[in-house]
Amino acid sequence: MLSFEAKYRQEAMAVPPLPALGLGIAKIWIGRFYLGFWGIVALVFGVLGSAAWFWQVLFVDPNRTNNPLLNFIRGQIKPPPPEVGLSIPFEAEKGFWWIFVVFCATVTFFAWMMRQVDIARLLKLGYQVPIAFGAVFSSWVTIQILRPILLGHWSEGFPLGVMAHLDWLSAFGYRFFNFFFNPFHALGITFLFGSAFVLSLHGATILSASGKKAEGVTEDNVNRFYWDFFGYSIGEVGIHRLALWAAVLCVLLSNLCFVLSGTVVQDWNAFWDFWNKAPFWSGFGF
Amino acid sequence: MATEVYRESFERRANKVIYLRFLEGLADTQVGPIYLGMWGALAFFSYLLCVFITAIGFGEQVGWNPIRFLRELPVLTLYPPAPSYGLQLAPLSEGGYWQLATLFLTLTLVFWTIRIWTRAVANQLRPMVPIAFSAALFLYAAIYIIHPISVNSWNEAPGHGLAAILLWTNHFSVKYGNFYYNPFHMVSIYALLGSTLLLAMHGATILSALRYDAHKEIDEIEKSDEGTHRSQLFWRWIMGFNATAHSIHVWALGFASLVAIAGAIGVITSAPFFEPNWFLWGCRADIVSSIQAACPNP
Repeated sequence: MLSFEAKYRQEAMAVPPLPALGLGIAKIWIGRFYLGFWGIVALVFGVLGSAAWFWQVLFVDPNRTNNPLLNFIRGQIKPPPPEVGLSIPFEAEKGFWWIFVVFCATVTFFAWMMRQVDIARLLKLGYQVPIAFGAVFSSWVTIQILRPILLGHWSEGFPLGVMAHLDWLSAFGYRFFNFFFNPFHALGITFLFGSAFVLSLHGATILSASGKKAEGVTEDNVNRFYWDFFGYSIGEVGIHRLALWAAVLCVLLSNLCFVLSGTVVQDWNAFWDFWNKAPFWSGFGF
Repeated sequence: MATEVYRESFERRANKVIYLRFLEGLADTQVGPIYLGMWGALAFFSYLLCVFITAIGFGEQVGWNPIRFLRELPVLTLYPPAPSYGLQLAPLSEGGYWQLATLFLTLTLVFWTIRIWTRAVANQLRPMVPIAFSAALFLYAAIYIIHPISVNSWNEAPGHGLAAILLWTNHFSVKYGNFYYNPFHMVSIYALLGSTLLLAMHGATILSALRYDAHKEIDEIEKSDEGTHRSQLFWRWIMGFNATAHSIHVWALGFASLVAIAGAIGVITSAPFFEPNWFLWGCRADIVSSIQAACPNP
């Protein structure tokens, strides 16, 4: 326990439970971890799914070697073949274990989000963390569940494996004639690099000013530095708003870039024809 | 003493600022006063030259037709010289414009880094922002300078233009045998996605504890208070580990810098003398998963 922790555990015990949402049930700490109802759900399905994945990758994968580390890197569980459609296959060769692991993972991720809601409620914090986690959870649901359902077969999901999902991602980009031409991919990447940029600036800024109170360095120095540097200082609350939105938008925009590919747009290169064919150019002789 | 002089001049300029009222309640509203200084002026003029040279190159390509310029802007490119020029200077329209524009772009970035450094020191801050910026500068140098010099041809650097930078990324990956198999690229992407995750976690945590003043981070580092305590317990109860008000920013700076540093190493090592084909490297390392048939000795 941290030095100040006992007080907050007592406070958490006094928060009334909300059984309809599974919140505040089984308020138990195991070592430093909080358990709770959603913790039990996450634990059960997380262990089930992970055990199935490791078993398949280490002991069943036809490409396995005698080296477990190598198997971990190159092993995979393939999604069901296209002829299975959206039915639930119960044969291993028809992709049962893919369905099983995706199901377990989805339940675990959801339970993990609810666990964050639970703990935020016990600590009387806002729900920004579960909201942010919900954004990335929506990405998993979009790519592995929603898009395959829209296209009518589970084989559209990605294989569960370290190198295998990289191959899938590479092939996915070229299959729709290059994701570099997908404008939502471009926006997603912009926010991805933007997030790294904001993180770098924020981390560096705080580290540049920390522990210098004795020298009279306060938040004003940071503000003045940013006014000098590019004319605007977003402030200590604003930077965290920017942080949350940059990161969340990155994920939400990449959801869009995935779900549109194969459903609405088949060729991101040809997508840009609208630009050259736009009517306003004709007035200028093009 | 220099600091005191600086503070005075700040007070003098402070009445020239404007306020963005629409940001009220979301972020700070004051804009300016911005500082110019010698390094700022040098960076500004050098960037102006870069843009000017690029505009001349684009103008020549579209026959000085402004409508054609707008229509073709997304694909207009200042290409680097052909491989036959090697590292020599090329005629203006055959890559010379690119060489000049790149020279002034590089100078701009160097001046800008020095400018941030001087401003940080003038405000009694450690120069951590320019140090972090120099990680990105290293990636820029790897792509535009170190790699082209190491393969003896400016042609392998990206052209200047919107589509050009995307096409270069695509072609560079294919040319060196699929960057998904480049282990430094893997680390860089891991840090890139990890940075976004860390940013979301940190931003959301601080926002969720606003009412306990968790956002006053410089004070919280000196003596942590209720906001930091609640945030720390939140992560400790969830995943058994928590950062502190100080260490989360070390994680932040480290992860974000790793993106650029690992990426730069990935670009520099992609060369005939080190690793000409990362897919074949994957075959040798025996990590190829679904497409082993594509390896020379499956």
